Amino acid sequence: MASADKLINTDVPEKDVFALHFLRSLSNLRTQNPLNSPDKSIDRVRKIKKAAYVSMARAAGGNSRLWSRALLRRAAKDDNKSVRFSRRKRKVTWKISSKRRRSNQRAPVVEEAAERLRNLVPGGGGMETSKLMEETAHYIKCLSMQVKVMQCLVDGLSQK
Amino acid sequence: MDLSEKDEFSAEKRNPDNYDSVNNPSGDWRVSGSNPIDSYPSENLISAGPASCSPSQMMDSFGQTLWYDPTSVQAMGYGGFSVQNNGGNASSSSFRGNIDRSLEMGWNLPNLLPPKGNGLFLPNASTFLPPSMAQFPADSGFIERAARFSLFSGGNFSDMVNQPLGNPESIGLFLQGGGTMQGQCQCDELNVGEPHNDVSTAVKDPTVRSCEQAKPNVPGSGNVSEDTQSSGGNGRKGRETSSNTKKRKRNGQNSEAAQSHRSQQSEEEPDNNGDKKRNSEQSPNSPGNKTNSGKRQGKQSSDLPKDGYIHVRARRGQATNSHSLAERVRREKISERMKFLQDLVPGCNKVTGKAVMLDEIINYVQSLQRQVEFLSMKLATVNPQMDFNLEGLLAKDALQLRAGSSSTTTPFTPNMAMAYPPLPHGFMQQTLSSIGRTISSPLSSMNGGFKRQETNGWEGDLQNVIHINYGAGDVTPDPQAAATASLPAANMKVEP
Repeated sequence: MASADKLINTDVPEKDVFALHFLRSLSNLRTQNPLNSPDKSIDRVRKIKKAAYVSMARAAGGNSRLWSRALLRRAAKDDNKSVRFSRRKRKVTWKISSKRRRSNQRAPVVEEAAERLRNLVPGGGGMETSKLMEETAHYIKCLSMQVKVMQCLVDGLSQK
Repeated sequence: MDLSEKDEFSAEKRNPDNYDSVNNPSGDWRVSGSNPIDSYPSENLISAGPASCSPSQMMDSFGQTLWYDPTSVQAMGYGGFSVQNNGGNASSSSFRGNIDRSLEMGWNLPNLLPPKGNGLFLPNASTFLPPSMAQFPADSGFIERAARFSLFSGGNFSDMVNQPLGNPESIGLFLQGGGTMQGQCQCDELNVGEPHNDVSTAVKDPTVRSCEQAKPNVPGSGNVSEDTQSSGGNGRKGRETSSNTKKRKRNGQNSEAAQSHRSQQSEEEPDNNGDKKRNSEQSPNSPGNKTNSGKRQGKQSSDLPKDGYIHVRARRGQATNSHSLAERVRREKISERMKFLQDLVPGCNKVTGKAVMLDEIINYVQSLQRQVEFLSMKLATVNPQMDFNLEGLLAKDALQLRAGSSSTTTPFTPNMAMAYPPLPHGFMQQTLSSIGRTISSPLSSMNGGFKRQETNGWEGDLQNVIHINYGAGDVTPDPQAAATASLPAANMKVEP
């Protein structure tokens, strides 16, 4: 469906890629806290969640998507040692839509919803609405894939 | 006069009488013949600024060549060309030189405009200017484009009728106009009025044939043309603007004004993310312009008003402000993306309306994110020590991780080795025994004491492996551990 649409390309890699990245990040997590596991469950949860997002961003194409880039950058900013984030070689020109937000002639209904979406989707702050929707589509796909992988993991572990 | 010139333009089906009628008022012919001379200063601009204005000039020259072509070719013994030759050898030769020069330069430019113009008369033009015209490919897409071009030019003839312009230059302009306004519009324009139809039928045979082929295909293949245009559209756009403004100064026709409006339009909207739009009918030069073009637009809007990336026309009864047009394009883009999202988000098919759809999308994204959080919580609780027993995980997930890809999970390589056969503990012992074998075999040369040490260490190794497996994480770097790593190395490379 996505690949058929030549205007918007929202191809997402297979489940394996997501699984691989996620497991990798989990193993990295484990090596970080070798034997001393004094961390509360909340910290653990947070770490796992972050690992999930980061691995999803990596699996979904690293720097090729705006949202994944923003996600990785955010993660690298918080925790420098775990996330490796390289700057793009060529400068990314961000579309400053703030100017447009002020003079909002565009359909206000759409725009307010887009505002909410911008808060949800990482990196949405600098995007135009049409671009935002593209990114949202890809983000939704990747998120659903990640959810599937995690669900499988949980099932596998809980069965054991 | 105009009609007669048109007849000649559309030549083949006409009788030689028409040629007579054209050439007998040789004053007209001379007028048309002399007009190229008027355009020479503009053609000189070709040498001056090739990138900026040559397409128009080339189109002029092409128009002129086209103008002369049918007569030269079809009216054999007759020849408007001969007339031209008689009329002004110097002018014609120089004109021809200009044509050649412009053709060459046109050939250097993105090959959108020139082929279109020449495709019309390619079958005939080949005799006229073999050296330069032979360059142009005569493929089917070419003919189709030419057909569209001719359709458009045919459509424009009705406008031309009203104008007291008989020069081939205007035809060249129209041809260029056809080039600029390619796509769906042309067929629509043809369907509009009778004079359109007459002229269209009067168009030459190859073009007519391809027209009739192309006509039903155009709405469908409009996208193709748009794509081809879009590919070169960027380069064209800048050139179009200057050429259009020049044309506007020259004769200020409606269509030309429209094109210049369009070009100004496109200049005005550089912020549209590189969309190569040419919005028509900017706010007004004169009410006459608006109504005239509005008439055309109205008919066209019924079919395919816009192609999204290249060419936008104002719909009938809508504001033709540049901003509103950009707005409209943007809105349509957004709605297109929303349709796409609708397919993604489950259960959104029944929902109609942008607001509700967007709310649904937002809810879906939120729910997905919540799911991720929930699952991560679950993972944390299920695996309190985070001792991800990969073999079990992988086995039960039934995820087919490839061997090469799995090797990248470095710290787990010992486990990964055990993961392949999906038996958690029994196999671990098996692998351990195999590890022991691999360890012991190279070490068999050593003394027995060492072997005993090995076996002692073997148990230690077992302990180590179990620790690895169950959340220890700190693999003591003893030779046994290294040996355990060596086995997976047999299967895959070990990353340090």
